Amino acid sequence: MLAPGWRRPFFGLAATAVTLLMVFPVAWIVLTALRPASGVFYVHRGTEFTLANFAEALAKPEMTASFVNSALIATLATVFSLAVTITSGYMLSRFRGATASVWFGLIYLFRCIPYISWVIPLYLLTQWMGILDTYWGLLLPHVAIHVCFFSWIMKGFFDGLPPDLESAAFIDGCSRWGAFFRVALPLATPGIVALGILCWLYTWNEFLFALILTGSRTPMLTVRMAQFVHETGIEWHLMSATAVMALVPALVVTLFAQEYVVKGLKI
Amino acid sequence: MLRRNFGERERFIVALVLPAFLVLGLFQVVPILLGANASFRSWSLFNPQKTFVGLANYRRVLTDPIFYGVVLPNTFLFMAASVAGGLVAGLALATMLDQRFRGESIVRTAILLPLMVPPVVAAIMITWMCNDQFGIVNVALQAVGLEPVPWLVYRWTSLAIVVATDVWLWTPWFTLLILAALRTLPPEPHEAARIDGAGPWRLFRYITLPLLSPVLMVCIVVRAIDAFRVFDIVWTITKGGPARSTETFSIYAYKQAFVYLNFDLGAAASLIGAVIVMVLGALLYRGLSAAVEVSR
Repeated sequence: MLAPGWRRPFFGLAATAVTLLMVFPVAWIVLTALRPASGVFYVHRGTEFTLANFAEALAKPEMTASFVNSALIATLATVFSLAVTITSGYMLSRFRGATASVWFGLIYLFRCIPYISWVIPLYLLTQWMGILDTYWGLLLPHVAIHVCFFSWIMKGFFDGLPPDLESAAFIDGCSRWGAFFRVALPLATPGIVALGILCWLYTWNEFLFALILTGSRTPMLTVRMAQFVHETGIEWHLMSATAVMALVPALVVTLFAQEYVVKGLKI
Repeated sequence: MLRRNFGERERFIVALVLPAFLVLGLFQVVPILLGANASFRSWSLFNPQKTFVGLANYRRVLTDPIFYGVVLPNTFLFMAASVAGGLVAGLALATMLDQRFRGESIVRTAILLPLMVPPVVAAIMITWMCNDQFGIVNVALQAVGLEPVPWLVYRWTSLAIVVATDVWLWTPWFTLLILAALRTLPPEPHEAARIDGAGPWRLFRYITLPLLSPVLMVCIVVRAIDAFRVFDIVWTITKGGPARSTETFSIYAYKQAFVYLNFDLGAAASLIGAVIVMVLGALLYRGLSAAVEVSR
């Protein structure tokens, strides 16, 4: 592509620039989190570092609870979402006919509707059901968020598996459920794990539903952080420490689960 | 055999879909119907009279100068800028990663990072970097002798920061999808064109790009629909300010419902947005399919 002599320096430069652009904001917030309160305002030329910010950030009211809640909701939402969309995606992949086409049309349509259009009335609905600001009141809407998109992705996973194996199991006397659980499900597991990791992160990162459907009884991490930013006299050292702790799952997945994530992203 | 299994097959199909259908019905379809009902009534959150008012709420939203003069332009601008930015950056990065070079795996890892970062945290990081007094961006500007910029005081600089955050968050997604598509392209067209003496730019423009267009089309439609409903980063960075000048459609609907407590207006605004996004999605899909046909 380029003249041979220029190829290496060009790619070296481009690679460095891209890496910097992607990593710098994260590195900067980590650096800020490690500075004492007085050092935050000259991050670029300080030398003292401390871990005290993390302890102080966690000592804020509701902070520990919001970490626990976010992790709990993310885990439960992943389990529930995968459970309902594995079967729905399997159906879309293996059966033709009216039910399948109607269901496919529905999930395609509802995937396009902006979240705000249903989360505003969801506030009233969950209030009437008495589950506003509880785990269920956030968990079930989160499963609903994932139904459309994940059914579609799951269909793709099962489309990639030959149906012959299930037919064979079926002929050998397996029931339909048996063929699904013992043959199709194990083969689709790598894809499902990938999607599960992404689902966990999506839920951990989610903001709008948490903002509207939770309050002081069920504090969620992203909502607490956004409140932080707008409070008067922002304590940037605590803000950064909280943000860094919220980033830990992202860092872990980026470093240790790359292959899985890339697989789960294919549409 | 077939006839005997018919009922059993149908039962199996229904059982497979039922849980997902129930969740979708109860927590998405029912709320949308509730919202539609509220949008035709006088329904504030502190005093829900629920009297039928016809299209009055829709008229009030559509004739609100902030809605048609600020919110819609902001939303479309944000959508166009962030999709275009992500697409161009993603194409460039994917083309680069498709080559072999030293440090490839580091770039590959770095590129995944923004995709995993919570948007709220990304917004916080950018807000901190663009802090008017202590942010590294202004420190850097001053170091090279320029005036510091109070980024979040003006409408256009605020919007630019929001767009930059979104492009940062979503470039990796474009990159991964385009890279995967590049890897599956047949090598023959490129070889033939190279033998005919095409240079790298012409190869890219007349061979790679047309072959990629189906994937690019999917990327554009999916991202455009998502960008239209942006909420989290705008809310965290600007809260719609200064003076409501950076509100997007989701922020406007949220504020109507939960800040001004006009639940009816919020529902109406959110449904107007839903209609716009459906029409837009269909048009984009049509237009881009046509473009793909032409380029073949």
